[in-house]
Amino acid sequence: MQHTFASKEGPLEVSLTKIAETFVLEGHELRQHNRGRLHLTLRDGRTCLAHTAKVGDVWWVHLNGRTYKWERIEPGSTGAEDEGGLVAPMPGKVLEVLVSEGDNVVAGAPLMVLEAMKMEHRIVASNDGTVTNIHFNAGDQVAQGATLLDLE
Amino acid sequence: MANRGEIACRILRACREAGHPSVAICASNDAGSMFTEMADQVVLLNGETIAETYLDQEQIIQAAKDTGATAIHPGFGFLSERAEFANAVQSAGLTWIGPSALAIEKMGDKMTARQTMRAAGVPVIPGEEVEEVDETKALDALREASTRVGYPLLLKASSGGGGKGMRAVHDPADFDQAAAGARREAVTAFGDGRIYIERLLSGSKHIEIQVLADQHGRTIHLGERECSVQRRHQKVFEEAPGPTMNPELREAMGQAAVAAAEAVNYVGAGTVEFLLAPSGEFFFLEMNTRIQVEHPVTEMVTGVDIVREQLRIADGEPMSCGDLMLRGHAIEVRLYAEDAANGFLPSIGPLAVFRPPEGPGIRLDTGVREGDDVTPNYDPMLAKLIVWAPSRHEALQKMRRALDEFVVLGTTTNIEFLRDLCDASPVVNGSTTTTTIDELWPNGWNPPAAPLLEEAALLAAASAETLGLHRHQTNGVAASTNNGPVSPFTTVQRRFP
Repeated sequence: MQHTFASKEGPLEVSLTKIAETFVLEGHELRQHNRGRLHLTLRDGRTCLAHTAKVGDVWWVHLNGRTYKWERIEPGSTGAEDEGGLVAPMPGKVLEVLVSEGDNVVAGAPLMVLEAMKMEHRIVASNDGTVTNIHFNAGDQVAQGATLLDLE
Repeated sequence: MANRGEIACRILRACREAGHPSVAICASNDAGSMFTEMADQVVLLNGETIAETYLDQEQIIQAAKDTGATAIHPGFGFLSERAEFANAVQSAGLTWIGPSALAIEKMGDKMTARQTMRAAGVPVIPGEEVEEVDETKALDALREASTRVGYPLLLKASSGGGGKGMRAVHDPADFDQAAAGARREAVTAFGDGRIYIERLLSGSKHIEIQVLADQHGRTIHLGERECSVQRRHQKVFEEAPGPTMNPELREAMGQAAVAAAEAVNYVGAGTVEFLLAPSGEFFFLEMNTRIQVEHPVTEMVTGVDIVREQLRIADGEPMSCGDLMLRGHAIEVRLYAEDAANGFLPSIGPLAVFRPPEGPGIRLDTGVREGDDVTPNYDPMLAKLIVWAPSRHEALQKMRRALDEFVVLGTTTNIEFLRDLCDASPVVNGSTTTTTIDELWPNGWNPPAAPLLEEAALLAAASAETLGLHRHQTNGVAASTNNGPVSPFTTVQRRFP
């Protein structure tokens, strides 16, 4: 059983083996009990119950008081490329634009102030570069996922 | 019930227990929220924004009249500390479940409150008030006052609360920018840019005293809560009694709190906040003229139902509680939809799984349930988890167990941060101060590494995919959320209720 998950180091190939009713990965074992309850035995002998839910392509897993997210990469899809755009992670309103098109900025420089979730957020440059496009003015509403400005 | 979410649930439940029929109000984006199901009637408010709905005084009073309601409970936040709303409610012939408009006004304007407290003999934090309204003149006056107050100092909005319009300044070079920022935030949030300066008393504990006053001339205190553990001036971990408190100090602070309440002829439930300096001196911070988020810890150790007392007092009855008796220890943590590992950035998403802990001594005050969506429309607090045990040590043990058991999937929460907090030595030995979080994690918090668990989670994810468990999910979560690359956002300051 092959699955691909996203990780910080890039796509991660996961190869599950199944022995009788037990799934095995890197010495950890998992058995499904009735109604989808997942019982884990870790490589070090600890046992725990896992709660899972899939939201979009992401598997949320709770075990031992910790919550992990593993994003599954569907076969055939391409991974998201970082195109240098700064994207709004949630809907909000632009309070201030602190740079102009053509400005050279260094990593960490404040670019915009956004109000979202009733808080002020400062948007900072992720790397050194030149601001090539500013897509919103102060007072504009922005949707989740909207590209706020381009940095090259 | 002129409020929403968790506190609306808390109060509507009390109404039902007391046999009072209740009316909820809700904005269209709150239709079907948990609190609307706890009222006997629901009035849908017109309008989109918070200002057009939960802050629309006329519309709310009209809803009360239309449904035949006789009293309005404001909860906390929103209109709870607006004196003109208290007045408008009473002018409309309705009962206001809270203190008089005059008391709200005197305590709500923090500068006036400091002056009133000084006159009543209650110690206030050394500092200066600047009444100047004009931007340039105010900034000049503040800069001048700052040299007299001394550094480090705290800039606070006179109309502020909850960390809004507040800035700590450690270096005179940062003063102008901080003052301008605090003013701007105060103008946006409260329409009032007046700022005052307090000396920043580092190493202090935040201790607050719950008070109750009825209309028969009785004013009492219900002991203290310690709420020192704060991030960006917002409380996350609260307990009663205070771990370093002794009966003499409790009595002294309790009497000061009663004096503060009596100075403004206070009626109802209120909280007098103090800073307790390492020297043992205590100073008045402010009085919150409403029910408070962390009221459950006091309820757990005193056995007093503060909301039921509010209802009784507003009805003109004497309060029902007798002498103060403290029993055991209670701790509350605030569960937020936020990414604690990313500067506490608020998060949104579906509550695909929401499974709170259970068992003896555990109380959950929440306004959400499994299947709900966490939206950016309102405060990101999901729930308050409260535990009670005979001793502080056992209460912490219970809290650790409860947090380990709490499963929230689909939306990032601060549960693991709260769990880690329960192991931090200042929390374990009770020596927390208002700067504890910054001192524990000066470069921000990250979850302790647990590579084996992360690997086991991957096994669970891959197995669940193979087993097709997502096809059996009953919560109807289908929305695809793009988590994208590392967020470029850093949170600056919380601004609204």
